[in-house]
Amino acid sequence: METKYLSALKKPGQLPERVKFLRDYFFEGVKRDWNNEYCCYSTGTDWDLQFNEITYFIVPETYSFFDTFLRSVNQAAEVIPLPEGFFEMSIPERVAEFNRRAIVEHMPAELLPGDLLCGARFNMLTSMCLTKAEQKKRDSLTAKARESALLLYKRGYGNSGSTSGHLIPDYEYIVKYGFEKKYEDIKALYDALTEMDKKGKKGAQLRAMMTACQTPRELAIKYAKLCREQAEKEADDKRRAELLHMAENMDRVPWHGAQNFYEAVQSLWFTHMLVMADENYPGPGVSFGRLDQYMYPYYKKSIDSGMTEEYMKEILGCFWFHCNTAYDAQIRVGGNQGITAGFGQLFNISGMGKGGSDMTNDLTYLLLDVIDDMSPILEPKPNVRLHRNTPDKLLDRVVDMVSGSQGAPFLLNFDERSMAGLLREAKMAGAEKLINEDNVFDYASVGCLENTMVGNDRSGTVDNNINLLKAMELVYGDGKDFIPFKDDMSGKWSKQTQDGPNTGAPETLDNFDKFYGAFAAQLRYCIKRFVDNYELTEVIRSKYQPTPYLSLLVRGCAESGRDVTEGGAELSFTTFEGVTFATTVDSLLAVKYLVYDKKECTLPELIEALRHNWEGHEILQNKALHRAPKYGRDDSEADDFAARVMALWTDEVWNYTTASTSRRYRPGMLSWNYWVGAGYILKASANGRRESQFLSNAICPSNGADINGPTANSNSVGKALGGKSEYGDYLEYLNCLPNGASHTITFNTSTMADADHKEKFKSFLRGYIKNGGTALQINILDPEMLKDAQQNPQDYRHLLVRVTGYNAYFTSIGRELQDEIIARESHKGV
Amino acid sequence: MRILSYQRMSTEDGPGLRTTLFVKGCPLRCAWCHNPESISRELSAEWIGVRCMGCHTCVDTCANGGIVAEQESVRIDNDKCIRCFSCVSACPTGALERKGEDASISEIFAELIKDHAYFGADGGVTLSGGEILLQSEEAAELLRLLKESGVSTAVDTSGYCNRADIDRVLPYTDIFLFDLKLADSARHEEWTGVKNGRILENFEYLTELRREASSKFGLWVRTPIIPGATDDEENIRSIADIIGDKADRWELCAFNNLCRDKYERIYKDWNFKSSELMTRERMEALVAAASAAGAKNVRYTGRTRMEEERA
Repeated sequence: METKYLSALKKPGQLPERVKFLRDYFFEGVKRDWNNEYCCYSTGTDWDLQFNEITYFIVPETYSFFDTFLRSVNQAAEVIPLPEGFFEMSIPERVAEFNRRAIVEHMPAELLPGDLLCGARFNMLTSMCLTKAEQKKRDSLTAKARESALLLYKRGYGNSGSTSGHLIPDYEYIVKYGFEKKYEDIKALYDALTEMDKKGKKGAQLRAMMTACQTPRELAIKYAKLCREQAEKEADDKRRAELLHMAENMDRVPWHGAQNFYEAVQSLWFTHMLVMADENYPGPGVSFGRLDQYMYPYYKKSIDSGMTEEYMKEILGCFWFHCNTAYDAQIRVGGNQGITAGFGQLFNISGMGKGGSDMTNDLTYLLLDVIDDMSPILEPKPNVRLHRNTPDKLLDRVVDMVSGSQGAPFLLNFDERSMAGLLREAKMAGAEKLINEDNVFDYASVGCLENTMVGNDRSGTVDNNINLLKAMELVYGDGKDFIPFKDDMSGKWSKQTQDGPNTGAPETLDNFDKFYGAFAAQLRYCIKRFVDNYELTEVIRSKYQPTPYLSLLVRGCAESGRDVTEGGAELSFTTFEGVTFATTVDSLLAVKYLVYDKKECTLPELIEALRHNWEGHEILQNKALHRAPKYGRDDSEADDFAARVMALWTDEVWNYTTASTSRRYRPGMLSWNYWVGAGYILKASANGRRESQFLSNAICPSNGADINGPTANSNSVGKALGGKSEYGDYLEYLNCLPNGASHTITFNTSTMADADHKEKFKSFLRGYIKNGGTALQINILDPEMLKDAQQNPQDYRHLLVRVTGYNAYFTSIGRELQDEIIARESHKGV
Repeated sequence: MRILSYQRMSTEDGPGLRTTLFVKGCPLRCAWCHNPESISRELSAEWIGVRCMGCHTCVDTCANGGIVAEQESVRIDNDKCIRCFSCVSACPTGALERKGEDASISEIFAELIKDHAYFGADGGVTLSGGEILLQSEEAAELLRLLKESGVSTAVDTSGYCNRADIDRVLPYTDIFLFDLKLADSARHEEWTGVKNGRILENFEYLTELRREASSKFGLWVRTPIIPGATDDEENIRSIADIIGDKADRWELCAFNNLCRDKYERIYKDWNFKSSELMTRERMEALVAAASAAGAKNVRYTGRTRMEEERA
C-alpha cells in the first residue's frame, strides 16, 4: 500500500454529471453534510465495549489512541434493546442478532443525490456482545496481548496481530444465486446435524450464519421502501424513474441472483459493504477478486439487451464513490480526511485462464476506462494481471495509462510468478486438492498485491510484519539488544535482556559461516517470538470476535461449522511479511565484505561503528555503502546470496501453525509503510545506513542500490524469489513467496514519451513477465525527489536520470542542468 | 577487448530495448563528443567530486605522487599516474572511477545476454564506441555469440575504419547505425579531426552490399545536430544527397549538454559548454529539409530547448 495513487497533475477524465458530483462530494471531506462515520452500538451493559484494538496491532501509528478509541466509542454508542435470552445464546448468535438489529433497525438508510446504488452507511462499531465474565476474561487477555505487541514493536522486531479483512469473499456466488440459496445451503447443513451437534458449537455457528443471511434481505427491503418514498416526492421524472428502478433492484438482489449488470453491481456492493460492517473495519483489504471475469456474463447480457457502456460507467462511478466512503469511518481523526489506516478494496482485471489462455474481455477495457476517468482516487484499488499471452491491445492501454497518469493508477500483477508461489504453498501445506494447475489461474489479489485463492481463502495477509534486520542486531548483542531502546512515551531506556539465544560474543565469530549461523539462529528466534505474540491475539479473535456474516461468504466455514476467525475457511493461513529484506541482505554482504573478505575491520569494530551510528567511522561507512556488494544489480553473487537469505527465512516460516486455529504460516513481502517507520527504531545497519534512514521496501533493493537500471533490478527480484529452473513450481518459475512481493520502480517520463518509446516500455513489461517478481508498481520520477537530491546529494549519488536515452548521474551534472531536468519533469503530462 | 561501460535498457541505440556496450578508443575527435572519456584507448582514473568525502586516502595510497590534494578536491596528475588503480581500489566512496578495462569475450557476452528477456522482437545488443570497429576481431566474435543465442545485433560506427573491419562483423550484424556528420570533407576534418572520404566510401560499400539479395542487414544513418557545426540546412541537404534512398532510417540527434561535467573530470575545456540545446522548431525544420531533399523515414531524437510554459 505504499503506492502513489494520488498525484497533483493527473486530472480525472470526463465524468458523467452524477459521478462527478459524487466524486467531488467525497473530496469535500469533513465539510460534507452526509458522511459514513462510524455508527456505534452497545448492549447497554456496564462492561460493554466495541473497539477491538487487536485489529490495529499491525498499525503502530494507532497504538497511542487505543484507550481514547475504546472509551470514546463506548460513550458515543447507542444502546440497542436486547431480545429475551440474548446472553444465553452463543457468542456468534449474539453477534449475528445484534448486528442484524444494528444494521437493519438503527443504522440510517440514506440515498445520495443522483446515486444509482443503494447502501450508503456501513461503517459501524458494534458491541462485543459479551457477558460480564467473558468481557473480563477478554479484557485481561487483550491487556496481555497488547503488552506483548507493544514490546515487539518498540524493540524493533516489527508488528503482529490477527486482523480483519484481507480476503476475497465468495461474491460470485451471491451475485449469481443470492443469499436465498446460501440460506438454503446452510439450512440443509444444519438440518443434517445430529441433535447433539445442533445443541453444540456447530449448530450455534450455523444458526448465527442463518441469521446473518437475513440481514441483507431485511436491509434491502428497507432501502426499497426508502427509494419508493423518495420517488413519490421526486419532481424530476427521470430521477423518479431511477429511484423506482433502484427499488426494483432492491426487491431482487442480493436475496435473489442478479439478472443483469445493474443488479449484479448492486448486489456486489450491498454484499461487500456488509462485510465491512460485520468486521467493524472499513475496507481492510476486503477485495473483489476477478471483477471482469465473474461480472462479464451480466455485462454481456445487459449490452445485448441494449444498455450502453456509458450507463454502465455511471453505475460503476457510483460503485467507486461508495468504496471510497470507507475512509469516512474516522473522518475527524487525523489531518487528511480521516485517512489514517490502510485500505485496499482491490480488484483484478485480465489475467490467465486455463492452459495459459488470456481472459481479457470487453469489460476489462470498460473497467480500465472507469479507472482512467476516476483516477486519481484511492478506492477501489485496481490490479491488472499480466502474463505471457497478454494481448498487445491491453499492454498498449496499460502503458498509455501509466504514461498519462504520472504513475500507474493500478498495480500490475504477474501471473506466472504469482501462480508458482501459490502452487508452492499447495505443496508445502498439502493443499493440492484446493490449489492446483487446474484452478490456480483463478487466484486473485487482496489489499495491495497479496495473492490468495478466491472465496475460500483467508490467509491473514498482513498479520505478521517482521523486520528481518532485527536478527542481525541480536547477533551483535549475542542475543540481547546491542543498544538499549528508548521508549518514546515514557522516555525510559529498556534493559538489555537475554531475548534471543546465545550465539557467541562477536569476537568469537571468526568466519562468515559462523556469523551467518548466528544470524540464522537469531532469525529463528525472532520468528518464534512473532508466532507466540500472534497466538495471543488469535486466541482472542477466534474465541470472542466471530464474524458470522463474513463466514457465510467463505467456503469451508458452514461446512466445518467454524467461523472464519476460527480457521473455518478451506484455505486458512496467516502470513509473515518480510520487511527490511534488502537492508538485511546488504548488511550481511557488508559484514562478509568488510570483516571477513577484505578485513577492513573486525566484527567488534564494526559493531562499535554501528553503536555510534557511524559517527567517527565515516570511512568504514562509505566502504559499506559504496564498496560492499549489493542486492539489486543483477550481480549473481549478491543475488544468489539474497536467494539464500530468502530460503532461510521462508523455510522457517513454514514450520509454524497457529495453535488455536490451525492456520499454517506462509511467507510474503509487502512492507506497507513499515520500512519508513521502523527506520527510526532499528539502529544503524552494516550496509552503511544510519539510524532513522529508511529501510528497504518489501522486495525492492535498498535505496540507491539499483545502479544498473530497471532490468537489472527486476532480474535481481526474480532471482531472489527463486528464479527459474527445470523443476519450477509453475512451468519453470520458482517462487518462495505465495503471498507475493511488492516491487516498485521509478521511471522518468521520457521512458514513455512517444509511440516508439511506449513500444519499448512494453518490451520491458514483457521481460518482467519472464524474469521479474509477482507485482510491480510503476512510479514516475518525482520532481520533489530531484529537489531533495539537489539539497542532499550524498543520499542520491546513484540517482541516474535518463534523458532520451542518455544516462547521467543527477547529482554530478551541475546546478543549472539539474534545474532544467526538474523543470522538465515538473511539466510533463500537463 | 578494451571496454568502457554497459548501458542496459537503452532506448536510443537502435530499435526496441537494448543493451549497449561502449568501448574505448576512437579515431575521431569530434568537438562535441558526449562521451569524451571513450575517445582515448588509454585506461585512466577519474575523480567525481560530488562523491568525495575528502579523506585523502587516495593521496596516501598513491606511491607515485599521481594524486595531488587541493583545497577542496584532489587532482589526478596523468603524467605521474601509472594506471595501477590502487587509488580506485582504496577509495571508500567510489569517487575515483576507473575508465576502461580489458575484459574477455565470454565475460562481456555474459553481461550483454542478461537482458535477453527484455529485448522482445525488435531489441537486442548494440556495440558502440569509441569506435567499435577498431576492435573488429573481438567485436565479430562477440556478435557471433550473440547471434547464436538468438539476440538481434547492431553496430554503431563512425564509419572511419577499414573495409576488412566491416567484412568481419558483417555476417553477424543485423543493423548498422552509421554516422554521417558533415558532408563537406574540410569541415568534417575541422570538427572531427579526420576527412570524411573513408567514411563515405564505407557507406557506399554498405549500401552496395544491401543491393545484393543475400544481405539482409538494416542501415540507419545518424547525424548529430550540433549548433554551429552540423546544424545548417546545407549540410543536411548534402547528407541527404549522399543517403538518397539507401538507408532505412535517418536520425537527427539533437545536441546534448548533459556531458558537461565529464569534460571537467578529464580536465578539458569544452567548446560547447555554454551552448544551448536545439529548439524544437529548428529540429523540425531540419527534418523537413531532409525529407524535402528526398530522404525517407527521417526523424529527430534527443532533448530540445525548454519552451516557455504555454497557457
